Amino acid sequence: MIGKDRILDTLGKAVQSSAADHTEAVFIGGESGLTRFANNYIHQNVAETNSKVFFRVALGQKIGVASTNAFSATDLRRALKNAMQIAKNQQDNPHFSAIPARAQYPALQTLDEPTARFTPRQRATKLKAIFKKAAGKEMNLAGSFSTGSGELAIVNSAGVAAYQPFSSANVGVIAMTDTSSGFAQGLSRNVADLDIRSIGERAIKRAHRCRNPRDIEPGNYEVVLEPAAVAALLEWINYIGFGSKPFQEQTSFLSGKIGQKITGERFTVCDDATDEAGVAFPFDFEGVPKRKVELITNGVAKGAVYDSISAAREHKQSTGHALTPNYSGEGGLALNLFVAGGNDSVDDLIGGVENGLLVTRFHYINGYIDTPNAVLTGMTRDGLMRIKNGKLRGGVKNLRFTDSMLRAFSDIRGIAKERELVSSWWDALGCITAPAMRLGSFKFTGKTDF
Amino acid sequence: MKDKLKTTIDYLKSRGVDYGDIRYVRRETESIKVNDETVNSLSKDVDQGFGIRVIADGAWGFASSSICTAAEMRKIANRAITIAKASAMTKKEDVRLAEAQPQVGTYSTPFVTDPFGVKLKPKIALLLKANKILAKDKRIKVAESSMDFFKTYKLFCSTEGAEIEQNLLESGAGYTATAVDGSEVQRRSYPNSHGGDYGTGGFEFVERMNLLDHAERVREEAIALLSAPPLPAGKRDVVIGASQLALQVHESCGHPIELDRVLGTEISLAGGSFLQPEKLNRLQYGSKIVNIVADATTPGGLGTFGYDDEGIPAMRDFIVRNGLFVGYLSSRETAPVINRQSNGAMRADSWNRIPLIRMTNINLEPGNVGFDDLLADTEGGLLLETNKSWSIDDQRLNFQFGVEIAWEIKGGKKGQIYKNPLYTGITPQFWNSCDAICNRNHWHVWGVPNCGKGEPMQTAHVAHGAAPARFRNLEVGVMQ
Repeated sequence: MIGKDRILDTLGKAVQSSAADHTEAVFIGGESGLTRFANNYIHQNVAETNSKVFFRVALGQKIGVASTNAFSATDLRRALKNAMQIAKNQQDNPHFSAIPARAQYPALQTLDEPTARFTPRQRATKLKAIFKKAAGKEMNLAGSFSTGSGELAIVNSAGVAAYQPFSSANVGVIAMTDTSSGFAQGLSRNVADLDIRSIGERAIKRAHRCRNPRDIEPGNYEVVLEPAAVAALLEWINYIGFGSKPFQEQTSFLSGKIGQKITGERFTVCDDATDEAGVAFPFDFEGVPKRKVELITNGVAKGAVYDSISAAREHKQSTGHALTPNYSGEGGLALNLFVAGGNDSVDDLIGGVENGLLVTRFHYINGYIDTPNAVLTGMTRDGLMRIKNGKLRGGVKNLRFTDSMLRAFSDIRGIAKERELVSSWWDALGCITAPAMRLGSFKFTGKTDF
Repeated sequence: MKDKLKTTIDYLKSRGVDYGDIRYVRRETESIKVNDETVNSLSKDVDQGFGIRVIADGAWGFASSSICTAAEMRKIANRAITIAKASAMTKKEDVRLAEAQPQVGTYSTPFVTDPFGVKLKPKIALLLKANKILAKDKRIKVAESSMDFFKTYKLFCSTEGAEIEQNLLESGAGYTATAVDGSEVQRRSYPNSHGGDYGTGGFEFVERMNLLDHAERVREEAIALLSAPPLPAGKRDVVIGASQLALQVHESCGHPIELDRVLGTEISLAGGSFLQPEKLNRLQYGSKIVNIVADATTPGGLGTFGYDDEGIPAMRDFIVRNGLFVGYLSSRETAPVINRQSNGAMRADSWNRIPLIRMTNINLEPGNVGFDDLLADTEGGLLLETNKSWSIDDQRLNFQFGVEIAWEIKGGKKGQIYKNPLYTGITPQFWNSCDAICNRNHWHVWGVPNCGKGEPMQTAHVAHGAAPARFRNLEVGVMQ
């Protein structure tokens, strides 16, 4: 950790030295370690110390962005000079008027010191215990366990001087037999919250129950989706629909539908980085305070998330969802999704299904097929189970689904009360908080005969 | 820098590691993205650092830092050793590397015009001009074009005596027109979707695309798709265009031949592979006309280099010969499992990532048919072009692709168009149904700059040579 004073001071001096009309400096850096395992041993074990400083400058409405991962005064001067050079060669961006002004941020506890200090040996010790457990059951474990800490700071010529340190701990475990696999995962700002033994046991138990999976024909099935499966769907739904870019380009399923019912009444999704039940964070990469944004409420399309430039296109205020300056053309993106929970237990959800499937998680989803209808395709993975008369009846072979998520979420028959934090590629700054859900119908379109 | 790396190697030797290497990487990136008449994003990045990989106590450790001082290198060397010792707590046996002659050498990408020396204004002007043609019809809601350039300097030294310097230069460009009518959204792209085409080389790579010459056709096709019917579901004979076939090679051949996946060490993210070692030299992966090579020496390929990130010289190796599965992509650690030497496929995203087995240029070799002759011989079939969506299972068997456009083939010509075409299949069944591949005149090496793998995530730049080819009785227009 470089520290608040040194980062803000260094960025502040760089911003002050700029001759641009508007100057913004963004620092993101930290130290992280990741231990990767397969076949019950650690095969990759890595550490990284890195930082990046982005400069975004504006000459009138001409914007230039340059970045460097060296934190010396010389390198920062060079990057700032590059940004200026780019701005001089730029076209006007008619939607830019000014960089965001100074703001107040909510006080959030986002750094856990023990997580920041967690060592490779500590990770190995935790994992060794579950390797032993798996070997005793003639299973192999594969997965990864990462811990790390970082700092994000934004300083700009309009008075923003934001700084926030953070930590993250993330584990995913796949247990494998000769014929089946199971999966469990955990994510938290605090490594102490991750019960590695319990996560490993859940994966082992699921793999055990799915041994010798039976063949099943594709078709429409009632399903119980576990939190990792719901989150995987949401990750793509978010990407194709909740950001300002697809919304404004009219490729989103929300475009032209605000105020209209697009799913069943029981489907509610929001983005709320200030809710510490998730992986909270107080501001975005422009230093704008994160705001709670209703995306779909009781099935009704409510709105998208914005950065400052995309918001200006609609004469709105930023919702605090800017990405790093090099992605500023991508508009806002939701990084802290919450799917509303219900009142059921997972057992209740399973118990209500007469003839259906339980999905542990999905693999390799793609959502570019038909974005206005939110059609996704993907495979099930690591624990597809048959449900008969309200009971789990063993594993079945993986299936491919191709379905409109607007249709799938139009018939929600139950939602679990308990929700899980599921990581995505932005897991240090957010996550998807999702419950298990029971859907009346989910379209499986293919199986694997080989 | 080389002196600092060599000093660090000496230090690793003094610490008694079983093996060690250090890799310094400096990469400059320039990225221009233009939406309609606005340059939405124009950025330059300079990124540098070093990574140290060691085997100590018989296990791997890797540590990296962006602070390139001698003191930091020693600190990171110690950290890598500490990490290796932690890994050793769970080892089943000591890591062993296949013998390899330590290389001392240099490599530079051949190029004509350094894209970083070309001024920004003409680059922006070209993209704006393309967008202007694309946006001439008001039904084109978004005209989006881009250029990306990468200049990478790599320095590699190992405790075995390797000293390798490489200068790689990569260029890419492309555009997409998005047509919207109510809730109907259709796209056409040139020369490929998802950012266009990429290769090793200079600005001449972009100039050869003749971007402006294709914009009008792309616009008209996007608009025509708005009123086209969806592709009916069924089994059809299909000609798959070269850029889509390149991605098919990527997903259904390139990934399952990665020997780390095969041995289970990629399970945690991308999955395993159906191409288990007992299938080597036994499985009829494709029909007799299917020949696939891993060729890191292909001129202009985005997966072309001089040496991999373990210091193995670039080479060409058969993967599928006359349809028979005969080879993997391998590393020094994995090759002995199949009693072979590494074929030089260990590649790292940058200094802060360990090398993994990655694709190089995985090329479907050209066949002997002309494109017009192929269409003439495929009456009632379909021509599918330009990727739109992609998905494949964790064993790389069950795939489903969406493309931007499908044409009915009638009288040897392109006829009726269909929107939202999908096709699906099982990898070996698909490649065994291939009965014609176009000749070298229609063969092109397509760059894929966004191949994800590993944890932490790594993005590799790879490529695939491909020509249009025909597949019999393929399931299309999947029922929804």
